[in-house]
Amino acid sequence: MKPPAGCGTPRPARSRGAEPMANENGWLNQYINSLPERGWFKFLATRVVLPYWIWRDPKPKLMGGPRISPQPSENVQRMMNLIMPLRDSSPIGRAKAALAIAQNVDEIFAGLDNVGTVHFARFLLIDDYICMISVYDGDFSNYIRDFITTIGSVFDAVMSLVEGGDDMIPTERNVEKFIDWVQAHDLFQAPDFPTDLFGLQDGAKGVTPNIAPHELASLPRELILQLHANPNISLGGGYRAYPGVSAAQVRSKFGVGW
Amino acid sequence: MTADVRTDEVEFNVGNIQGNILRGYRRNFVRYLMLEVTDRSAARRFLADSVAGGTSNVPGITSAVIWKQRPTYCFNIGVTCDGLAALGITQDQLATFPTEFTQGMARRAMKLGDFGDSAPENWPAPFDQPERVHVVAAIYTDAQQDLDALQDQVVASFNLLGVRNGRNLAGNKVFFGYVDSISQPRFNHVHDPDQIGVDEPIDPLGTALLGYPTRYERVRFRIPEPQELGRDGSFNAFRVLAQDAAGFESYLDRAATELLAHPDVDQLLTPGEEWRIGEDLDRHGALREIVAAQMCGRWRNGMPVASSPDAQQPDPDNPVSLTNFDYDRMSRCPAGSHMRRVNPRGGPIVQRIANYTRRLVRRGMSYGPDFDPANPDDEERGLLGNFIGANLGAQFEAVMCDWLNLGLQNPDVTGSNDPLIGANTPETSWFDLSLKNGGTIRLRGFPRFVTTRGGAYLFLPSLPAIRHLSELTD
Repeated sequence: MKPPAGCGTPRPARSRGAEPMANENGWLNQYINSLPERGWFKFLATRVVLPYWIWRDPKPKLMGGPRISPQPSENVQRMMNLIMPLRDSSPIGRAKAALAIAQNVDEIFAGLDNVGTVHFARFLLIDDYICMISVYDGDFSNYIRDFITTIGSVFDAVMSLVEGGDDMIPTERNVEKFIDWVQAHDLFQAPDFPTDLFGLQDGAKGVTPNIAPHELASLPRELILQLHANPNISLGGGYRAYPGVSAAQVRSKFGVGW
Repeated sequence: MTADVRTDEVEFNVGNIQGNILRGYRRNFVRYLMLEVTDRSAARRFLADSVAGGTSNVPGITSAVIWKQRPTYCFNIGVTCDGLAALGITQDQLATFPTEFTQGMARRAMKLGDFGDSAPENWPAPFDQPERVHVVAAIYTDAQQDLDALQDQVVASFNLLGVRNGRNLAGNKVFFGYVDSISQPRFNHVHDPDQIGVDEPIDPLGTALLGYPTRYERVRFRIPEPQELGRDGSFNAFRVLAQDAAGFESYLDRAATELLAHPDVDQLLTPGEEWRIGEDLDRHGALREIVAAQMCGRWRNGMPVASSPDAQQPDPDNPVSLTNFDYDRMSRCPAGSHMRRVNPRGGPIVQRIANYTRRLVRRGMSYGPDFDPANPDDEERGLLGNFIGANLGAQFEAVMCDWLNLGLQNPDVTGSNDPLIGANTPETSWFDLSLKNGGTIRLRGFPRFVTTRGGAYLFLPSLPAIRHLSELTD
């Protein structure tokens, strides 16, 4: 490769080790770059390397939901992606779930109104799951607790559709257990700064985050191992058109009462 | 207080409950002993003797039974999750305790605003090794000289990790100069002479004790297993909170100076009315007191700002109750004030159903040397606080993370932290003073005045539970 035409500054001396740069499109580089698409390599990676690393460095499942931040604006408009396995995912079971929500929709909306910190909420049926997707302000446990205490009977109806839900009924007598259950079924939210994953993994193992330094090159492996423990995740915290504003502030601005 | 009262099918026996939960002892001194269980059987023997009323070598646990004769000292204990394990409670049983308790205070730091200088990494011993703090024992007495002998008795059965001494300041004040300990929850079935004439709603026993109805309709908090361990127990957030009294006074100086130059200052203090704030105060001095009062929600003499917004010394012909008042949308007590944040009473809040649900029993004494505002110094001083309730998550943490910091309860204060004890930094802090014409003046740039120096989530076992712990065998 021809060096750039002289522009007054001396060209830094190249070390010998940097010479192969001249060979960027050489056969060896091309071959290595193509490895991820080669059948034998894929087989080796998924059947040998991955199970080995899962055995060698297992990752605890990371808790769901957004994380509390010292920054007040990060603690409003938080996303909940609650993914609850259906007890009966046949069309008949799904119809029952649809009916349970439809029968209680007024109560649910009134309850969300009384909780006061919820921007949006909706229920979805996807594959084998019934999902509650919502955006709320403040602490997760307070949101769930206030919600149960407002419309606990409706939650009981929802939980009766869900695998493992019986242990939580009546939710009003199982507030603590229910909050833990919801947090475990709320999707883990991958950090917006990728390297924050290291600290979260440390924390889940009970060690002080980032005291032992992490090598940046290990991030892809750490992510793959985490996706083994948390297969379903939310990719980042999500987009906000007007960050830092609470539901009550929006209502107050529009004069609709809070 | 009668002994056995039936409440919603559950027997309530005051003799089963540790005495520091439902009412205060009002003693002059307290000593907290942070203890590690290193000899399990010695610790169990101590608990057995203590719960049986004590011996000549072991202080007896003080129950909630009203004493006929005031004892010379009171003694109570709280146990951390690591402490329960050290005493022999199994992992399966510990799993029936609430998550926040099993995680412990240090791991809940972010939720409590314990970051920066308040972060657990910066806590001095013994709280730098939270897993070793097993039991926090409290000795309350009027005679300081009794403390050492009682401490020696306790330490004979435990490894002493640390000591904190607290005392009542003159006039029931705290270092920031406010009269404190005015308002507390009132409980069903509990006679408390301090509460006569208070008109706040009565709190069900389940606010502070496990096994009883709560303020939430139909909700009961889970009783940890086994029942004899969990029932009639309570939880306590024990906090060592350093108060920057010098920083607070110097901030008041700065704020008053800024206000003097503010175009709306007459709406805060009508010229010529400085005497209503304090007899000898000039305009600057009176403005200092107004800032202090609005930040707290009470004047420094305890007078509620909600009932007496413009005068620390109300008209003697129209006395103002220290306890009986409420907030409304027109209230002159700022929604961002400390008192209104931690207990919004019946006032309007965003979480409409949460009024009166996050009530806490607060018991605290001061630590450190006296503070003289005329000769300010930087010695560490502060509050040894106990924030007691049946559910740490629903009460203490709920107040800390959504109301005290963040301010979700009112859109006018959302995004700001408690001006007195919040996790503030000068770069972002703000607080709105309320004016006579309904307007506000925004104060900015104040630092964090209260720093966490340690603490622990404690389970306050009932007397039968202490007996249960003492009888564990393996």
